[in-house]
Amino acid sequence: MRSLPSYPARFPLLLVLVWAIFVLPSVVLASGTPDHDASANSHPSYAGGPPQLEKAKGESCIRETEWMRRNHMDFLKHRRAETVRQGVRIRSESLLKCAECHQSHEKFCDQCHGYVSASPDCFECHVYPK
Amino acid sequence: MLSQFSAIEGRSFGYWKLVIFLGVLALMGLGAFVAVEINGHGITGMNNKIAWGIPHVFAISLLVMASGALNVGSMSTVFAVKQFKQFGRFSAFLAIALLIGGLAVLMLDLGRPDRLLLTVMHMNFRSMFTLNVFLYSGFILLCFLYLWSMFEYQQFTKVIGSAAFLWRVILTTGTGSIFGVIHAREVFHSAITAPTFVAISLSSGTAISILLLVTTFKRTNRVLEDKVVFGLRNAFIFFTFLVAYLLVVEKFTRYYSPAFYDVQSWILTGPYAWLYLFGVWGATIIIPLAVLFNPKFGNSIGGVMVASFSSIIGTFAFVAHLLLAGQSYPLKMFPGYEVSSAFLDGQVATYTPALIEFVLGFGGIGIAGVIYLLGIKFFRMIPNEAVAPEGYELPWNP
Amino acid sequence: MTMDRRTVLGLGGVAAAGVALAPGLTLIAAPPPDKSEASGDQRWAMLIDVTKCESNCTACTRACRQENNVPLFGDPTRDIHWIRKLEIRDKDHRRPSVSLPVLCNHCENPPCAHVCPTEATFIRKDGIVLVDKHRCIGCRYCMLACPYKARSLVYHKTEFPEGGNPNVPIRAKGVVEKCTFCVHLVDDGKQPACVQACGHAGHKAMIFGDLNDPKSEIAMRIREVKTQTIREDLGLKPHVHYQGL
Ligand code: HEC
Ligand code: HEC
Ligand code: HEC
Repeated sequence: MRSLPSYPARFPLLLVLVWAIFVLPSVVLASGTPDHDASANSHPSYAGGPPQLEKAKGESCIRETEWMRRNHMDFLKHRRAETVRQGVRIRSESLLKCAECHQSHEKFCDQCHGYVSASPDCFECHVYPK
Repeated sequence: MLSQFSAIEGRSFGYWKLVIFLGVLALMGLGAFVAVEINGHGITGMNNKIAWGIPHVFAISLLVMASGALNVGSMSTVFAVKQFKQFGRFSAFLAIALLIGGLAVLMLDLGRPDRLLLTVMHMNFRSMFTLNVFLYSGFILLCFLYLWSMFEYQQFTKVIGSAAFLWRVILTTGTGSIFGVIHAREVFHSAITAPTFVAISLSSGTAISILLLVTTFKRTNRVLEDKVVFGLRNAFIFFTFLVAYLLVVEKFTRYYSPAFYDVQSWILTGPYAWLYLFGVWGATIIIPLAVLFNPKFGNSIGGVMVASFSSIIGTFAFVAHLLLAGQSYPLKMFPGYEVSSAFLDGQVATYTPALIEFVLGFGGIGIAGVIYLLGIKFFRMIPNEAVAPEGYELPWNP
Repeated sequence: MTMDRRTVLGLGGVAAAGVALAPGLTLIAAPPPDKSEASGDQRWAMLIDVTKCESNCTACTRACRQENNVPLFGDPTRDIHWIRKLEIRDKDHRRPSVSLPVLCNHCENPPCAHVCPTEATFIRKDGIVLVDKHRCIGCRYCMLACPYKARSLVYHKTEFPEGGNPNVPIRAKGVVEKCTFCVHLVDDGKQPACVQACGHAGHKAMIFGDLNDPKSEIAMRIREVKTQTIREDLGLKPHVHYQGL
């Protein structure tokens, strides 16, 4: 026999290996669309030089601009659970309404997301009216 | 009696060739997964009537064999068959490897694998799937503990081994119940579906243990006494009879009731009849028994290998038949009426598997194979020599 | 299925006078309030009078595709059908064939929701069975469990159709979907698209309403005439009732 480290030492190694095969890919994959309500401050901000965003129509956003900047993801996901699962509809604040002022998601949402490298897949399904 | 264990050398060209071959299979499986991810399930052969296809056949067959692979260990730990004690490590480890291979296929075939974490964040405990998540992870954990105790803490082996045995019965019942509880499908829905899964896991698990033990010992030039293999063979014969018994009881009960004439005669004459007759009956039952009851082949290692291999093919056929026939048989929405529609209601569904589904399925076999090969290289899984206890005589030979 | 056809016609004629108004009424109602919520006091259901359903009429299925942007891929085994027309005929061909639409039955005990591992399929408080497309992992177990074949997986990428309805999201591949009873319309106090279309086509074979409201058209009809559901033997308590089957 070769002088390899004895077997018990390798057991945790194998455990980690198996765990890695399963859990890591799923974490990596799932990070694309987590469904959790993370606290607002856990999101990266774009403090160091924001990208150029298209000017929004209208006076102000549905909440304060600063609040929206930080919380729109959680806001949207919270609303989405409420609307789809509880049937609560707040028509003036639906996802469709965003488009009335932020007229192009390419020039608004995507600009910013590209900058912070987030890629929500919402508009694969949701229509963004022009 | 117990010989020393050692890791295999694993430096030969043949060994690495095998690792690389299986590794390529696994990578091709991952490639198939990526292709399906990018293009959607449109590139597979599945459709809205056959929603579960070849990947699920591979996945579920591997899961069934995984729980069966624990047999050899359970026979020694729970049923005190001494000469199998030396295979305990092999058995528990093989179970883990096969389970991981099967689970990988199951997960890689999801429509939205990126949302996998949702399965642990929102659980519906009424779903057989959710229960199986616990059963599978618990099984892996128990097998690890079992293995560890066999290496380090022999005093716990009995307890953990018994727990693992109990767990694997529940686990296979859970796997079978994925189908058994579905009332809408006449081919699946039966209280006996789950027990049949248990039986077939016993036979196929023993079969794959025989195949791998014989090849591993041969390729590493270790001694494996024929008597030990024939002991496994006897168990295998018994398990095969068990499968046959459950299949017969199921058919008998169904045929007794006129309500099932339609579906049952469809099974025997419809487009999947070949799978049922040649696959389920031929490969799982008839070929193994015919070979093993032949005094010449039954008492040769080659014959036992052929029978085992046939049984494994039969297990795939069993799962494939259940899944494909079960889904393609038209749903009886209006009993006694002919139904037609733009959605092909009332017709037997057609399904042509795409190559990519097989690639994905073989990927699972590749993953299980690589884990097994690396495992026996890096850990002391396999005994240096496997002999029966002195004075041991097989109670029975064909 | 043993109901005498003439009695059905007679009853249907009386009831038809009432149905005629229902869809029209809701269309001219005031715009919905800004905030609304589904209520557990309601139990939405549908009643389909098979005797009034015409064999070559596809108004309901076309309206459904239009309202919900449901595409056709040109592959009958993979096309998405939220509602489909069925022709049923007794095996000896003694009676004429019967035409009827089949859609998600919005069961009270939905097997699809029972088997869903992530609770993506759920029953809303008002009895509508929905797929939360944000949560569906595409395992397709529900498609095996549904006895009505009401569910489809999205096999191909889809585009927003020319002249489509922006109020209903389109679809991403790998997610299972089905009829929603046009929940977005119901929440606005309107009728599902198929029911409206059936009315406009002049058949008025479908009515939709709240079973818990004893004065509603549907509750009265179900009290008065014999109705059936498909596969009653499974104990699912579907909310799509059929009259004259
Ligand atoms: C009534 C018009 C209106 C609607 C509706 C609206 N917004 Fe806004 N939004 C604005 C205005 C105006 C601003 C401020 C832009 C600025 O300060 O330059 C803004 C800012 C924002 C910002 C911060 C941009 C930045 O400069 O940091 C985000 C994020 C945002 N909106 C998201 C949304 C989302 C998501 C919705 C839909 C739920 C929505 N908005 C709906 C008008 C609107
Ligand atoms: C001011 C920059 C900015 C603008 C404008 C913006 N977002 Fe975001 N968005 C972010 C940041 C930062 C995140 C957080 C990324 C993270 O957590 O990794 C985010 C995350 C999200 C998420 C959650 C993504 C996930 O994977 O969890 C959604 C959904 C989202 N944004 C929707 C929108 C929509 C819709 C618009 C346009 C109406 C929009 N955002 C405009 C900066 C922006
Ligand atoms: C697989 C398709 C799909 C994807 C992807 C998707 N949605 Fe949806 N979404 C739907 C459907 C279907 C509804 C139900 C619409 C209804 O009932 O009116 C919906 C409803 C909603 C609603 C409530 C209705 C409204 O207009 O306010 C919100 C909010 C929402 N989605 C947000 C999101 C966000 C944020 C994302 C991206 C992280 C997203 N969705 C991704 C399909 C999708």
